[in-house]
This record gives sequence, C-alpha cells and structure tokens, in this order.
Amino acid sequence: MPDYQMKEVKKFDYQRPGIVNGYTDQTLYINLSDHRIEIKPVAPQTKKTFIGGKGYDLWLLWNAVQPSTRWNDPENALCIAAGPLGGTPIYPGSGKSIVATLSPTTASAMDSNVGGYFGPYLKFSGFDAMEIQGKSAKEIVVFIDGVNQKVQIFETRGLPDNAYELSAVLTDNFAQGKPRNISVVSTGPGAKNTLIGCLNFTWYDPKRKRARYKQAGRGGVGTVFADKGLKAVVACWDNVTADTNNPADKTRLKDVAKMHSREITQLDPKQNEMAKIGTTHLVTIMNDHDLLPTHNFRYGQHAQAPNLGQEVYRRLFDPGFDGCWMGCTVACSHGIKDFVPLTGPYKGKKVFVDGPEYETIAGCGSNLGIFDPHTVAEINFYCDAYGLDTISVGTGIAFAMECFEMGLINESHTGGVDLHFGNRLAALELVHQMAVGKGFGQIIGQGVRKMKAIFANDFGADPDIMQDIGMEAKGLEFSEYMTKESLAQQGGYGLALKGPQHDEAWLIFLDMVHNFMPTFEQKAEALHWFPMFRTWFGLCGLCKLPWNDIIPEDNKDTAEPAKVMKHVQWYADYFSAITGNEAGPDDLIKMSETVYNFQRIFNLRMGFGRRQQDDIPYRAVGPVTEHEYESRAERYDKQLTETYKVNIDGKSIAEKLATLRQRREEQYEKLKDAVYKRRGWTPEGIPTLKTVKRLGIDFAEVVELLKANGVNS
Amino acid sequence: MIQVAGKQIAWREGMTVSDLLSEIKDPHPYAVVRIDAQYVTRPNFEHTLVPDDSEVFLIPMIAGG
Repeated sequence: MPDYQMKEVKKFDYQRPGIVNGYTDQTLYINLSDHRIEIKPVAPQTKKTFIGGKGYDLWLLWNAVQPSTRWNDPENALCIAAGPLGGTPIYPGSGKSIVATLSPTTASAMDSNVGGYFGPYLKFSGFDAMEIQGKSAKEIVVFIDGVNQKVQIFETRGLPDNAYELSAVLTDNFAQGKPRNISVVSTGPGAKNTLIGCLNFTWYDPKRKRARYKQAGRGGVGTVFADKGLKAVVACWDNVTADTNNPADKTRLKDVAKMHSREITQLDPKQNEMAKIGTTHLVTIMNDHDLLPTHNFRYGQHAQAPNLGQEVYRRLFDPGFDGCWMGCTVACSHGIKDFVPLTGPYKGKKVFVDGPEYETIAGCGSNLGIFDPHTVAEINFYCDAYGLDTISVGTGIAFAMECFEMGLINESHTGGVDLHFGNRLAALELVHQMAVGKGFGQIIGQGVRKMKAIFANDFGADPDIMQDIGMEAKGLEFSEYMTKESLAQQGGYGLALKGPQHDEAWLIFLDMVHNFMPTFEQKAEALHWFPMFRTWFGLCGLCKLPWNDIIPEDNKDTAEPAKVMKHVQWYADYFSAITGNEAGPDDLIKMSETVYNFQRIFNLRMGFGRRQQDDIPYRAVGPVTEHEYESRAERYDKQLTETYKVNIDGKSIAEKLATLRQRREEQYEKLKDAVYKRRGWTPEGIPTLKTVKRLGIDFAEVVELLKANGVNS
Repeated sequence: MIQVAGKQIAWREGMTVSDLLSEIKDPHPYAVVRIDAQYVTRPNFEHTLVPDDSEVFLIPMIAGG
C-alpha cells in the first residue's frame, strides 16, 4: 500500500475532439479555488493572431489578470501550451511546452520553455493549452487523462515533497503499466520557500526505467505553481505517430522531417556532438573567448575552467539516447548515473542527475568560482529536486559572494556562512537553506533585485555599487554569458521582453567573434530578426537547437549564414505541412512579431514595458571596478584611444574607467534607439499605433492603453 | 595524413591549426575546430599543433544555448 492518499474531489468527463492540422481548437480551464473545470473554444481570430504555444498562453493570461493583479493573487493564471507543430515525433525538437504566468520576481508576464512530454500529451488529450487559476489550501494533483477522456482533481496527503521522488511516485501511480504514457509537471519545496522556483516536466526513459525531467526554470513559474497549492499536474496519452497531429500534408511533412532528421544524424558527430555531450562543449569555448562568467560576471575566463568542460562531462554522462521528446535526433538531455551526493537528504545515496547543461555549469560552477564538476552536479541535482531555477540560484549566490568579498555583507548577515568565491560547501548549504526557506538562503531565494533592497535597507550596504554588480534586469537574473564586449548581446539581454535570458537573441559570437554585424543598423536588424524567429519556436512548440546548433555544410557560403536560411525554409515547410496554411520565412517572422509586440504591450499594461525597464547593470556593459579594468587594461586602453579617440596620457585608472563607462553607456542608449526604430516602437520603447494596426493587435483595449501611455500616432 | 572535413590532407611536422586553415583556403571565419574529441578555439589556433593521423572537424558556427 502506498503511504500517501489521493482523494478525488472533482471528475470531469469530456469528449476528446479530433486534432485537425495540429490544433484541437479548445483550451482547458481549471480553477483550484472552487474546482471548476471548463473547456473554452479557441476563436478563429485568436488562432490566426496568436498561432499557439506562447501566443495562446499570453492571450489566456491577458484575459485572466488585471493591471493590479500580483503573482500570488488567485486570479493569476498559470498557462501551459504546446503549439500546432508540438508533438510531431518525426521532426527533431518538436516536444516543447511553454509556460506563462505573472512572475514573482518581475511582476509581469513571464514565459519559460521546457522539454518533456507534457505539452504534446496535453494537446493529444484534447487541449491546445491549459489555464489554471485560483488557489487551494490543500495539496492538489490534477490528472488529465486523454485516453479515458476525463480530468480529475485530487486532494492529496503524504506525497513526497521533492520532485525527484514525486515524479517517480506519480508516474507509477497513474501509469497502469505504461509509464511512457505519463508526463508529470511538478516542483519542490524550494519553489514554496523562494521566489525562484522552477517546474520539472517529465519524460519516461525506457532504457533506464525512470522518469527523467527537464525544467521550465525562469522567473519563478514553479513558485506560482506551489503557491496555488499544486502538487502536480499529470497528463496521460498513449500512442504517438506522425498522424497524431493529423497534418494537412503528410507526405510533405515526412519529406521535410526526414531531411532535417537525417542531416542532424549525419552532421552532429562532425560538429558539436550534442548527442554525446549536450551543451557542455560551450564551457571551454566561452572560456577561451573571455565569455564564461566567473566570479559574478567580473571576468570571462579562468585557468581551471577546463575542469568543467566537455572532456570531463563526456566521461561523467551515462551514454545512451537522451531525447526529451520522441524521435528527436539532437538527443541532448544527458545525465549522470549513480551519482552520490555528499550533502543533504540524499547524502551517501545513489541518484540520477538530469544534466548538467551549460547554463547550470556556468551559473553554479564558474560564476561561483567553483571548478569542481561533482559540486556542480550536486547543486544541479538538488535544485531540480527542490524545484529551484539553477540560473537564478547561480547568479543569486554569485552576487551574494561578491557582496561578501567586498565587505558589503559579512558573516553576521549570512548566519556564519563564509561566502567567499569557491566555497563549495557554502554554495550547497545555501541551496539546502532555500529548500526550507531558512537562513541566508531564504534571502538569496528572493532573487537579486530583492536582495539588493534587503542588503541596502537592513544591512546598510551601498546601493550604487550593488546596482552595478547585481546581475538582474526587469527583476530576472542574467543567464550565463558575458556581454561586456558584445554590444549586440547587451541588447539581446537588456531588450528581451521577460528579462535577461538568452532565448531571444544569442548574438555574442556573431557580433564579437565573427563580426557579422559591425554597424548599429546591422545590430538593430539582428535584434529584430533573431528575437522574432526565436519567438516563433515558442509559438509552435519547438526547440531551437535543430535550427542553428547543427547546420548544413554549405551554410557558410550563403548570403546570411547566421540565419541558417535553409533551415528557416524547412521550418516554413513544416508549418505549412502540418497546418495547411502556406507560409514562407517572412510569414514566420510576422507571426512572431505579432505576439512579440503583444507581450511588450502586456508589460506596459502591468506598469513596465518602457525604455527605463530595458536598462541593464553596468557589469553587463563594462568593467565596474579598477581591478576589472586593470585585468584587461590593454583592451580597454585601446578602445578608449582607437575607437573613442580619447587621449589617455596621464589619466588614472579611475578616470579611464569613468570615461569608458560614459562612452559604453552612450552606445547602449544609441542601440536602444536603433532597435526601437527598427521594431516600430516609439523612442520610449512602446509599439506605435501604426505597428499594432499592421500586426492586427489594435484591439480597443490595446489602443486605449497605448493612448494612455502617450502614444497617439 | 590527416582528415579535414572529410578530405585527406598531407600532414607535416609542426603544422598548427592556423597553418591548416590557410592551406585549405577556406575563407569562413571559423571560431572553433575540433581535433578528434578536443575543441580548439580561435585564440589558440596559432599555437595548437595538429597531430598526424587526426581528424579535424571545422565547426561552422557556435550558436549558444
């Protein structure tokens, strides 16, 4: 007998619609306060405008909340969607789910994408998206059973708290002998006790006979989930084939899918070997180019970085086929078998670690001055099990460590924890504290923006220096790339709608290493096209890795190698084949542009979405301290004299630092101007009436909002 | 002999990655190559030797996470 109870409090039978060209044309609504379950039709105009995935999420969220709604209000909605192409098993990278909600750290619309089987299973069960509102005082498990066409709400007691065990228990509970039919969305105790909780989405690994998971990490989506009283949402679906999405043109789908899939199989072994080492190759590559964040983004390089590189993880990863969605030939979701943590509740026990990926290695390794791959694996394991975002954990602890080393905080504030960079046990201890919401870890779990306020108000720390070194923008912690030498990537982070995450535009190499965009206009064009194309993946339920991480051998000879246009055309064919709506590359951009502008306006509606919210801390732009300047003095001196034509003879480091800062900050402001103009926004960063009209989002509410914010023409 | 992007190239003593890239006359601005399982980045092209009998993969682009 299991040592947990699940009491059904609501059962909702429904008739599953047939999927037509990737769509079910309905969404699932669940209210946890009164256990209401409803099905909402998707209006044709909504489908045309918002496409699916993140577009549907944002539209549902927009209608669920008011400008006054806060993240922990019952009316905040947590939305999850696949997309019209999501769930196609023959096209690589087609299993993404997109989560959207009002974030506890940014207070605005957050979106986070994730692998695993949930989004496709939700759709095949009959729902293009789901929307969860309300809150429950009791722990709730929602079960969406597409096979038997019912949705159940259970009140539960005694289920495991951490996602590692919870995923396994619930998979077993609902599988009825078919664990591959189950996908569990859950979080952990850290999500309840911090503002930086993540969601774990499972996929069943038949070879290892275990539920594996991927994370929707950013912006505290797990915290919203936990605050609603949700223990888990589980989806069940059975057989998946190329027919399940009922594509408009199956022959065309098969042809394009075969081309892309075969190309990856042929070229990945010759390129980055993601099927063997995931994204770990990036560690040493970033390090060699001075782009790997170390010591809270002070520097981009460290002699010990190779300890965290692909050569090490190649040996640590358990070999096998590791696709987080069926049939994906990128298969980059690697893990470490029989890992034995040295701390915490699993101390001395063998566990399976899902990961680490590059972001976790850089965030919880080099950026903390930790160059031990086992410590990174242990932090990775506990963050997942506790439901914590490894990026925010890493960037948050890094900030606290630098404050400690600068003397802005001391052991009397940290509860006696020595927070010098490189202290592995301290980093792990803080993660365990975040899980229970105690000690200094509880403060770190509030995120960098709130930490800055607490350190200033309660500990008397200097707010100005913390503003420079606290690596957050819009309330979201930076992901793990150095941007000091890439103006385009400063924009890639600073102008990203939800905050500094690299999933809008990763332009560092194109800008800094390949020099593909030397002018402001070229940077602005890149900061238009790349965020738009990457948004499209989120609309359709796709992973971006097959687009530009394995690329055609003749790509380098094309007119715009950075865009990998051969693949963009394949994606247009893929979209056309599934949906029956003929689309070319420009149409994909237009689809995204509509949703992208709508999200910017959503930010405006919530009190943000203006120029000042696109500011970034100076640490992302240039050297903050004299020591940082001196460490790369030749580079900075050269820029002052050659680029800015400044006579630096006789100038002190402090004077040079100040001059460089002034010039670099001016450049960033000019970049904002160029990008806003290219995107059809006002100098204040707000979409113009002409832009919203062109994109078909000139709803009365939108127009009224723009006018209220001074946009009249 | 070494194999570069699927083609056989004569190896010589002291050959660096930079030498190799000049020799094959490929103008693409490679930032990274892989020699068997070892990644070599542009800052190290000048002083990284290409071993005999190795296979060199030219990584066309680094696209981030």
